[in-house]
Amino acid sequence: MALPLKAEHALESEGFESDPKIVKFVVVKKREEQDHPLKEELTSFEEALLPHLDAAHNLARWLLRNEQDAQDVVQEAYLRAFKSFGGFHGTNGRAWLLTIVRNTSYTLLKKNHAVDLTTTFDEEIHATGHESVSPATILEHSEDAELIRQAMDELPAEFREILALRHQEGLSYKEIADITQIPPGTVMSRLARARAKLRECLATRIGKEK
Amino acid sequence: MNCEEATKLMDGYLDGELDPITNQAIEQHLRDCPNCDQAYKTHRSLIRAIGNATPYYNAPAELRERIQSSLREEIAERPIRDVARDTQPLFSRKRPEPRTLLLGTPWNWLAFAAAIIFAAIIALNLVPRWQRPEADQFLATQLIASHVRSLMANHLTDVASSDQHTVKPWLDTKVDFAPPVPDLSSEGFPLVGGRLDYLDGRPVVALIYQRRKHFINLFVWPAESNATGDTKAISRQGYQLLHWVDSDFNYWAASDVNANDLQTFKQQFEAQTSRH
Repeated sequence: MALPLKAEHALESEGFESDPKIVKFVVVKKREEQDHPLKEELTSFEEALLPHLDAAHNLARWLLRNEQDAQDVVQEAYLRAFKSFGGFHGTNGRAWLLTIVRNTSYTLLKKNHAVDLTTTFDEEIHATGHESVSPATILEHSEDAELIRQAMDELPAEFREILALRHQEGLSYKEIADITQIPPGTVMSRLARARAKLRECLATRIGKEK
Repeated sequence: MNCEEATKLMDGYLDGELDPITNQAIEQHLRDCPNCDQAYKTHRSLIRAIGNATPYYNAPAELRERIQSSLREEIAERPIRDVARDTQPLFSRKRPEPRTLLLGTPWNWLAFAAAIIFAAIIALNLVPRWQRPEADQFLATQLIASHVRSLMANHLTDVASSDQHTVKPWLDTKVDFAPPVPDLSSEGFPLVGGRLDYLDGRPVVALIYQRRKHFINLFVWPAESNATGDTKAISRQGYQLLHWVDSDFNYWAASDVNANDLQTFKQQFEAQTSRH
């Protein structure tokens, strides 16, 4: 942790050669005094939130459907989180971080006009062809991770995120409501719709394969 | 509980997110209804299998390093800026503006925006519950809980009488308002008695009427001056709630009778009270 800072000190002292020596002394002393509390804050921030890096990355990856965007968003979310870490007094660091990751992801989705926030789902296309596929057949294919990934990626963002939060992070309805900023009463119905759509998408894909 | 309600609640049951009473009701229904039981089991095994097989995207190791070094850059930036402000004339070397990934906006603006968003979230959380859209939902939960408790705890009535002229004077001595207590026995809703309760942060009167084997808890408290004449029906956990307001009082009827019976009850109640 101290290494990059020392390297910068060394770098700067070159630039000060022409400046009055006394100024150089004051500047260095100020920096060392001020760095100390921030380093402590950074350490406690990293201890609290870096363990949730996988969860943050997974959520961003499902929302953005793109590895590079996901990494950029997660990095930015960590910076945002660090800046407001002083105001965070909760105990649920993961939910807090995921809220920031989600908001940052939506900012990028909106900017790219890639927002399928609300369910603008083509019911016509997805309503055909899956009636003949029985639940048992879907169950046979349910270990096909690639098939599930494709079906998940077809869903609108609000469904992708709620499925990832519940199935993969195992979050409670209350936590999901906090992260996605919807009323707690809506979580169950949205989750039910998301699961029904996922089943439908899987059935459609399996039906096409036949 | 019927099949439609059971289907609606299936995901909540699957996730173990229902309250104990609803949980029992749905379990009872699944025991009684082989179709729903089969649908539930299929749904459960499918959802679990899909959930287990959904790919999890772990963060690559270089992302952790990227984040850690960007955080270190971040704290290295902060004191430099402060010093630069103090010693502007002597400090000629320019630092590159901190880059951002999304907007190309300097970080302090994003921080400012984030601060506003956080302030808004906090403010929203501080708004009292009744101002929010789920206020009704919250009250509905209280009403159902109170209704269920009254049947469960053998405390249906404080004053048990089918005579309105016994119930009303008793109530008048207990609370500072005098709700109407009509006799609806000829309409098929005999009066059972009255009770005091506490709801929505205030003492309320509960009038208990009977419909065949079912009980109706009618919660009454004075209406606020800005009350509207809206009627609201909520169905929840197999219970029906019906809300209406007249010039003096707020009414919430809670029962497990069907919605039509409850509507009839309301009409009869209103017909009787307007006559007085």
